[in-house]
This record gives sequence, C-alpha cells and structure tokens, in this order.
Amino acid sequence: MTAQERVQRLLHELGVQYPFAQRPALAAIEALQQHGDEVIVRWLEAARRLLEFNRDAGRVFILTSARAEAASEIVLPWTSQALKFLHWPGSAGAIEHFMRSVPDAYAALGHAGQARWAEIGFMWYSRHSESGRVYFATPVSDLAARQGITGIEQLCAPLEELYESRKLMLATYLSGALRVRNLLGAQAILPWAAQGAEIMQTARARGEAYFRLESEESLSVLLEHVPGFRMGQRQRLLTLLLTVWYERDFDVNESSWSPERGRPFVEADGRSLHIPAVMPDREEAILAVLHAAGRIVFGGFDRSALAAIFRMLGAELPASGPVSWAPLFERYGPGMLRFRLLFDLCEALRVDACVQRVVPNYLERLAEAGAARRDPLNPALPYYDLALASVRGAAATVRGKAADLDPRMRRLLEPGATLVDAYRIADEIYRASALPEVEDLEAFYAAYLPGHAPQATRPAQIPANDEPAQGESGTDTSNGVNDGETPEQGEAQEVNEQGEASSELTQQQGGDADSSDGGTHTPKFPGSEPGRAADGDNKGKPYPEWDYRDNRYRQNWSWVQQKPLAESNLAEANKLTAQYASTLKRLKKAIQTQKPTRMAPKVRQFEGDEIDLNAAVAYLTELRAGTSPEAAIYRRREVRQREVAVTLLADISTSIMQHLPEGGGRLVDRVRAGVLLFAESMEEVGDAYSIAAFCSKYRDNVNYYTIKDFDQPLTTAIKGVIGGMSGRLATRMGAAIRHATARFAAVESTRRLLLILSDGRPEDYDDGGDRRYLHEDTRMAVKEAVTRGVHPFCVTVDTMANQYLPQIFGRGHYMVLDRMDSLPNKLPEIYLKLRR
Amino acid sequence: MTTATDTVRGVAHDALQPPRAGTKAPYYEPQGNEIEVFEAAYRSRLPVMLKGPTGCGKTRFLEHMAHRLHRALVTVSCHEDLTSSDLVGRFLLAGAETVWQDGPLTRAVKGGAICYLDEIVEARTDSTVVIHSLTDHRRQLTIEKKAEEIAAHPDFLLVISYNPGYQTVLKDLKPSTKQRFIAINFDFPSEEVERKIIANEVPGTPPDIVTRLVAAGRKARLLKDHGLEEATSTRALVYAAHMINAGLEPIEACRVAMVNPITDDIELTEALLEIVKAHFSQWKSPTASTG
Repeated sequence: MTAQERVQRLLHELGVQYPFAQRPALAAIEALQQHGDEVIVRWLEAARRLLEFNRDAGRVFILTSARAEAASEIVLPWTSQALKFLHWPGSAGAIEHFMRSVPDAYAALGHAGQARWAEIGFMWYSRHSESGRVYFATPVSDLAARQGITGIEQLCAPLEELYESRKLMLATYLSGALRVRNLLGAQAILPWAAQGAEIMQTARARGEAYFRLESEESLSVLLEHVPGFRMGQRQRLLTLLLTVWYERDFDVNESSWSPERGRPFVEADGRSLHIPAVMPDREEAILAVLHAAGRIVFGGFDRSALAAIFRMLGAELPASGPVSWAPLFERYGPGMLRFRLLFDLCEALRVDACVQRVVPNYLERLAEAGAARRDPLNPALPYYDLALASVRGAAATVRGKAADLDPRMRRLLEPGATLVDAYRIADEIYRASALPEVEDLEAFYAAYLPGHAPQATRPAQIPANDEPAQGESGTDTSNGVNDGETPEQGEAQEVNEQGEASSELTQQQGGDADSSDGGTHTPKFPGSEPGRAADGDNKGKPYPEWDYRDNRYRQNWSWVQQKPLAESNLAEANKLTAQYASTLKRLKKAIQTQKPTRMAPKVRQFEGDEIDLNAAVAYLTELRAGTSPEAAIYRRREVRQREVAVTLLADISTSIMQHLPEGGGRLVDRVRAGVLLFAESMEEVGDAYSIAAFCSKYRDNVNYYTIKDFDQPLTTAIKGVIGGMSGRLATRMGAAIRHATARFAAVESTRRLLLILSDGRPEDYDDGGDRRYLHEDTRMAVKEAVTRGVHPFCVTVDTMANQYLPQIFGRGHYMVLDRMDSLPNKLPEIYLKLRR
Repeated sequence: MTTATDTVRGVAHDALQPPRAGTKAPYYEPQGNEIEVFEAAYRSRLPVMLKGPTGCGKTRFLEHMAHRLHRALVTVSCHEDLTSSDLVGRFLLAGAETVWQDGPLTRAVKGGAICYLDEIVEARTDSTVVIHSLTDHRRQLTIEKKAEEIAAHPDFLLVISYNPGYQTVLKDLKPSTKQRFIAINFDFPSEEVERKIIANEVPGTPPDIVTRLVAAGRKARLLKDHGLEEATSTRALVYAAHMINAGLEPIEACRVAMVNPITDDIELTEALLEIVKAHFSQWKSPTASTG
C-alpha cells in the first residue's frame, strides 16, 4: 500500500468514526502537503489516537495543525510532543492549551527553544498535572517576556529549588511570579516566592492568597524589593523637612500604591499627604513631599478659588464633604487628559513659585532633577519638556535673569496667583496649543516632572469656609482625632489603625459633638447620669478634677480603681529581652560607668573609713587660725547617696495598638520593650522604682494598674505582665497623675520623679470634644504633684505634642521622641539623665 | 597680685580689675530692652538672673554690661563639687601660720565687682544658700569660718545664669532662691540682629553669606523639639562664618560648625544638611564666578 493510499484510508476511517473531524483534517492535510505523504500518515495516525483519547483534544489538534506547521515548517516534532500527553489520563485540556501555544512557541523561541519549553511543561505535567496545564495555558509571550527561552528558564529556576525543598507547585506560583517579574525583574522572584512557600507550608489559604498577590504580606515583601527610596523608613526625615520648611505639621499617610499601579506619586488631598511606599530616589521623594505639602499650604485647595471655578462652569461647589475634581475636566471630552496635564502643569508651576519663597533653591533643584530624568523615549515628551521649560523659566525669573518663559504663565509666578488663574491659563494654552493627544495612562503619568503628581486622583478635602485656607490653624483638623465635623474620609481603606481607634472615640461622642461646636463648650458628662456610676466597693478612690470653665475643682469627681493587670505574656517578655539584649548590655555598662560618681565617697563626714585629706588640712588650718571648726574630716562610701524614687506611669490607651509609621510592628511592642528595659536598668541603678499603667473610660472608671510596686522585687511574673501590656480605652491623665502622686506618700526619698510615658493628648470618652478641659485638669494635676514634691516628666511619642505639652508640663519638663522605634533605648537613658 | 609686667604681657589679668578706660566694650547687639533692664537693676543693685539657651549671648551680654558700667567681672563656673569655701574662701597654711584666702565671691563683694555665677543649678544646694543674704536688702556675705559679716561694696552686683533645659528638672533652683532675682529671658536674636552680630563678629563676611547663614540657622532651630537637645546657636553661626572666611566651602563649613557638633542622629543630620544645601548650593564664591 502506498503512502498515498494509507492517507486515503486513514482519512476515510477518520470520517466514519469522527465525521466532524474529516473536513478540518482535509484542510490541515492541504497545509502539510509539502512534507510528503509519510509525514501526513504519521500526522493522521496521531490525530486518530488523540481523537480516541479525547474528541475535543483531537479536534483542537487537527484545527491548530495548519498554524503550527506555518510557524515551525515542520510537523513531526510537535506531533510527537502532543502524543506524549496520552500517557496522562485526563490531559485533554492540556493538549488543547499546548496545541494553541505551539505556533507562538516556535515564533518566539525558535526550534530549540520550543523543545525546551515543551520539555519544561512535560516535566511539570508529570509532577503535577494542574501545574502542567497552567503552564501550557499561559501565553508563551508572557512566559518569555521578550527574552526567549532564557526568560522562561529564569522564571522557572527559582521554582525548581522551592519545589525540591518545599513542594511548591507551578500552578500556585506562576501567575504571581509573572507579575513580580514584570514589575521588579527576575531577581525579585526568588525572595518573594521563598517567603510564599514558607507561608504555604503553614497555612494553605494564606499562601495561595500570597501567591495571587492578594495578601498584605505578599505586597509588603514585594515592596521591599522595589528599588528606590523607602518612604516609610525615611518618613522621619521627610516630616523633619516639612517641619523645617513649612513650620507646621502635616498629616502623612502611606498610600495604597503598589508597583502595579505604575509610577508612584506623592498626593495631597487638602488635608493629608499620601506617600507611596517607594519613590525612585531621594531627590524625587523630597521634591514630591515639598510640592504636595506646598499645594496644601498655598491654596491648592482653597474653597473660594474652587467655588469660583465651579461657578465658571455653571456648577455649585458642594458645601461640605470631599469634592471631586471631575467637573473641572468634563467639558473637555476626549481632550480631557490633555487638559488635565496642562492644568496640573500650570497649577504645579504656581505652587512651585510659592514653595520657592520658603524653600530656597527649590526651583533650580526641580529643574535639575527634571533634566536628569528626561528620557527621549518618554511617550509624553512634549508635555514633559513644556513643564521642564516652565520650571527653568520660573527659576530664571526668580533669580532676576532673562527668562524664557511662556508669557501666559508669568502671571502664575506672582504671589497673588490662585487656583483660578491656573485653571484659566491652562484653558488658554489648551485652546491655542497643538500638543499631541495623550494615548494612555502610562503616557499620562510619564508627562509629570519628578516631584509633580496628577492632582485629581483624590477628592479634595477642602477646609471649611471659616478656616483660613493657608493658615496654621489647619493643623487641628488635619489631626483628624475627635473632629466632630469631619466628614467621613473618602477612602475608608486608607484610615489607619490610629484613625480607627480615635473614630471609636468620635462615635462615642457623636451626640455631644454638635452642642460643643456651637461655641458654648459644655462637655456633657455621661458619668453624671444616674445609674452610670459604678457601685460602692469597686468605686475606688475619688480625686478632684479641675474645671477651667468655672475655675474651681469638682470634688470627688474622678474615681480611680487600682487593680493588677490581669494579662501576662512571659514569652513575649523573654522574646523582647532577647531582642534587646545588646541594648540592655550597653545600658548596664553605661550605668556601671556612672556608678563610681554615684558611689563617690561622701566627703566631710564626721565619721567614716578614710580621712578626707582636703577636709583634714582645712580643719587643721582653721584650728591653727584660732577658730573651732567642726571635725568633719572623714570620707565615707555609701551606696545610696542620692535618694531618688521614680514611678514609671504608662498610658495604655487604645492608640498604643497602632502600627508604627516606620513599620516593624506596633507601638505597644516598643512600649513593652521600653518598660522592660527600664525595669532592668533600674535593677542595675538601684533606685526605688515602681511601674504602673493607666487607662480610663468616663470619669468614674479610671483604671490604675500597678505592675510593680516600690517594695516589690522584679520577678518573672512582673516581667510577664509587662510582656502582656496592651492598649485599651482612653487617657484621663490628670486622675492618674493624682493617684501616682498619692502613692509616693509611702516612699521615703528626697527626690521623687514621676515619669509619664504617653502617646497622645489627655482625652476621655466624656470630655465632649472639649480638649481644653482635660488639658487644664492635667496641668493642675501636675502643679499639685510639684507642690507635693513629685516632679512629673512626660515622655511622649506624639509628634504633635509640642502643641499641648508645654502648657501642661511646662518647658523642659517633657520630651518628644519623634521616632517610636527609639523608645526602648531612650526611656532608661532619659531617666539616667534626669537623675543626674 | 599681678605685677605690672604681667599685665603688660597679658599673661595674667586680675579679675578684680575694672576694664581700663578707653578700651572698646565687647561687642553686643541688644535684642530688646535687656540693656535698660540691666542698668535699672544695677542702679538699684538688685541681683540679676540671665535665662536662656546655650550660645545665645548671655555671657557676652554680661561682659558688655560690665564694661559699660565700668565694673570688674568675676566669673565662677559652677559645677557639682563646688563647695561654699570655693566661693567664700578658706584658711591656707603658710609655714607655721595660717592665712585666710578670700574666695572669688568674697573678693567681688569687697571690691565692688560684678560676680557672675554661671550655670548656678549645677552647684550643690549648700553652696547656693551662701548667696541668700547677698541677694536681699541685707547685702551681706557671712563668712562662718571667720565669724565675719562683710557688707557688700556699694558697687557689688550678683548675677547668675541658668539654662532651663530638661536636664535640670530635678535640680531646679529653689523658688525661694529664684524670687530674689530680676530675671532677663534670652533667646536667639531676631534675624536682623543675628545678621548684625555675625557681620560684626566675623568682619569681612560677604553680606550674602551672612543672610544665608542666618536664614539656615533659623530653619535649623525648628528641629529643636524633634530630637535636638540644643538648638543651633548664634555662636555656631559665628563659627560657621569664621570657617567660611578661612576658606572652607560654605556647605562644608556649616556641616562642621552647625551640624556635626549638635547631633549624631542620621536623619537629623540629613535634615540639617538639606537646610544648609538649600541655602548654599546656588552660592558661588565671588572669586570662582569671575573665573
């Protein structure tokens, strides 16, 4: 039988058995004709076997063959590859994916590459059928990422290791790994996947979410590998710079930016700054933060200017709540992106000119960074260049040199220019210019100079009418805590834990907020309602509270209940001890070196172990001079020369549960570590000390937890309690100070120090939003303590504390740690400095 | 007693010597009415307390006033181990005899000088009580060891200084001591005054440099409550100007005079340098720009 006859017979059989396959088979044979009948016979046999195996698989094989041949100009290699699937029952789906990918594989990888591609796929199929299926289902171009077979090898290499050690499957790994590689390059895959494999072993669902890039931890591992300037870790520097240049505090939040969203920007919404986790470099980060803060400070969210623009557009500015920028751009229809770029450019120039007035050299710096980052391949180069030219022109104008600045933009450099001018001028330029269309979002983002950002990405939080748009008083509302009239944040997911903690407070006061905002300032006291008060025995000890409005004490007003802290976590304490072992060692050493001075012999004593030579000479001299001096000529060594007693009073309100802005855990971890290190150091120092914590809910429920009393030794049980400290309720500081002061009464020492560790202003659920009330009361409590010979000193991690602590504790009687991370080390150090 | 030659050679200078007529008073630029206040206090011989941060000009002010009032100035820097004998005086052995040696305070009391107890809180409380009788209407110094009471010279004036920093929480002066003094608060001078001070202290500094230094210094002071224990002082600015005059690049000069001495904190250092760079990176020295 000739080959041709065999072809005919096979075709006939095929037609009888699988009538639907005959016509496509004929079409395919047409395409394979040039390879000769021998080849066609082998192909037809393969087709039949595949049809027998699974009808759909066979049909797809036949249908895709023509394309596979066209791409490869061969037939048998991929035919035999397809037949390999017959080893595995249930591989029909995989055959389909395989055959559909074959043409692309040849086109993208060449013959050798295709063979390797298939080989890797088969290897995975034999290990784990789902992984093989996913592999072949993934478009070859995605696997290779324009790097041919090398790209695929790079992609799979990290997996090999993790498959061996952790049984990580390709099906789990692939989609995430592809995205990771696209974002950060192949080198970022391994650390990311290794972490994921570990999670996968302990918790499957968590691990899967990790590999889908859906979990927080996955994103954070990714962010760690994004190259560039870490905004979170360097946030302190950025806030320092904001303080320096704008002389006020800003609310700085981390935005939900992730590498997939494209270029990172620092955004402002009129109330807060939103910083991405990473910026390309330090220079851009600094410029961006200064610019975004500049927008807030220099009227970028000015209510009257925005209202004027809305009027121009025949619309009404909403009286309150976040305002969308969309109406400003709607009328430009398809040219919207173009206009947005021009508007942002004009507004940025206006803001930059203002920023230059407070930050010397800012425009030059911006121009330099812009020039350095200019990319000739930038898809939005005309816009970028226009922005760069405007900044250069502005910089020259500021220096009083001849400037090559678009005359229309000159108005923006004047001090009186507003958002309205920026809008008007942008419109003018838009109508006259022949700038190209902006094609996509990537090009749109690429148009911005380093440091600039699209404005309209967040709804504007416009300060209310009666507030000056540029005034410093804006800081109060930016705090967001206890702000009765604050509309809900536009993006709820951005609210951090601190915000949640305080919104709990706000809700509690919901009903009271209105009346106290009316100007009467009458906090309501839920505690004064009958039935609220706790009963008899548990009521605790009453203390007066100062009411500044009546200028008098309210007697027996706040009730302090002293109790032990029930929770204990020795494991945590041990972990912290281990973690801070080196710090503790350093502290102890420092204390020991201080000891000689502390243990210094008392001179001029009437009795003692040695003769005080100076005193003896003086004595003899005076004797000889005819006077009758006192014979205090001895020195005596004494362990406790300085009688200092100290109470460490920790504020454990809800807010200590917040996560650290610089990352690496929660504030409460640092508080625990700080208290623990303090206790260990105190053991070394030898001064009498006690440790207590407090929290409150209403005036009649102030909890005072004694963790370690003066006469107690530091036991493991106490360490466990310190390890188990956690945040709860609010901060009625005055009552706690009074109670701590009272507890000093039993202690005999000449110097008594009350070290208060806090993270925020005094506040309670029943202060009715009137901050001043508890501030004034705390101030009075401090005064009372001083009269009783106790020196309160406040250590706080609230960077806004400069606004209220000087009034409460007085200058020099508080210390702001602007890095919460430094708390554990600093707390003992501060004490040592204080007692010196 | 100093000999004539010593005075000529400038080796020693008796603290009780009033400033010689005709010499120029140490430069001081008033920030407010402190000169009038001090003069009024001196006319009534009321003791004066100078309060303010390090390096803001307390000591210089007093030198200036002493010269202006033509009084000798006796300065005692107080420290932990300062005893009252160190202030008042003690018996010394001289051969078989004993000799009473007046302490600086006693000499000032007798000689009608201005006695300046610098950083008085550092001294132990037992040594600070000796000044009590000097600071009220009695104006007497009691020397217990000699059983003497010395009435102060009509020109005598006691001046103390202290820096209310947080290190002094437990060592604050007793209210009974404090309230015996007229207190003058010092702070860093206004921008204009600070410019004058630098221009005067370091003659020949280009006015442009002075302006930039002062502007940078003001910004740096804003970091005071953010981890800096002491703010950038006027003295530091003067030092920076000296370094620039001696040929150092301005940014480098500021780094060594204004940044390095006050902090080891990396972030603070960076923030301070940002300030300096913002003010100086566009600055071209006149010699360089001509080339």
